[in-house]
Amino acid sequence: MGILAGQSAFYYLAAVSVASAILAITRRNPVHSMLWVLALFVHVAGIFLLLGAEFLAAVQVIVYAGAILVFYLFFLMLLDLPVEAAGPPFGAHWPLCAAAGLAFAAFAWYAHDPGLVPAMQPVEPATRSPGSLRSIGMALFTQFALPFEITSLILLAAIVGAVVVAKRKNVP
Amino acid sequence: MVPSVPLGACLGLSAILFAIGLVGFLGRRNIILMLVSIEIMLNAVNVSFAAFSSHLQDTRGQILALFVIAVAAAEAAVGLGLVLALSRNRPGISVADLTELKY
Repeated sequence: MGILAGQSAFYYLAAVSVASAILAITRRNPVHSMLWVLALFVHVAGIFLLLGAEFLAAVQVIVYAGAILVFYLFFLMLLDLPVEAAGPPFGAHWPLCAAAGLAFAAFAWYAHDPGLVPAMQPVEPATRSPGSLRSIGMALFTQFALPFEITSLILLAAIVGAVVVAKRKNVP
Repeated sequence: MVPSVPLGACLGLSAILFAIGLVGFLGRRNIILMLVSIEIMLNAVNVSFAAFSSHLQDTRGQILALFVIAVAAAEAAVGLGLVLALSRNRPGISVADLTELKY
């Protein structure tokens, strides 16, 4: 893929991501918001593909778009909110929120230091492909073995916690 | 594969997505949409991780992004469990219904 094609694909994906994120937080109907978030996740997966992170793109589609978003949609339909579509989506303090968002974006732009990141070292080509599943698996099960196990503990705690919190107290 | 995407553009996209998620989290009144805004923010951070991983030719950024995704899944499970428990005791799931500690 040429440089120009890659860049134009990136700018398309970035523009659609930002647009769908804005639409997601401004739609009045929560189900519409979820569908825009789905578009956002799929386009971010495309950005991961452009960055050479194929495994991360697959996990993004499977876990985020496949599992987490379906979970949210399931909850929305389970709760069946009739009043949400009537009122305004934002509270009365929305100008303050927009100011906070703009301030954060301006701060991130200001704090972005190009000298922070060293220029790309000339790694030997075709020996290290950072996105390959083999190198990720090797690092995950050797260098990051302890954080990997701790992640499984976090997921276990989340399962138990969700059941405990959501369980009905007085089951007949 | 030569990364054809400039790092600064990726970081800018990440900052913009994070700011959008921040506005959504602070501004929306529906608790489920606040949780979704947190997911948007976590995804923005993942874009940053992937950009640095691609730029530095280092796998570790992608692994940290994988951990972020796992923690996001755990957060979704616990957060939605809390919302379910909340919706049994309250008429709705708007943050305007949660004012017991306010006065």
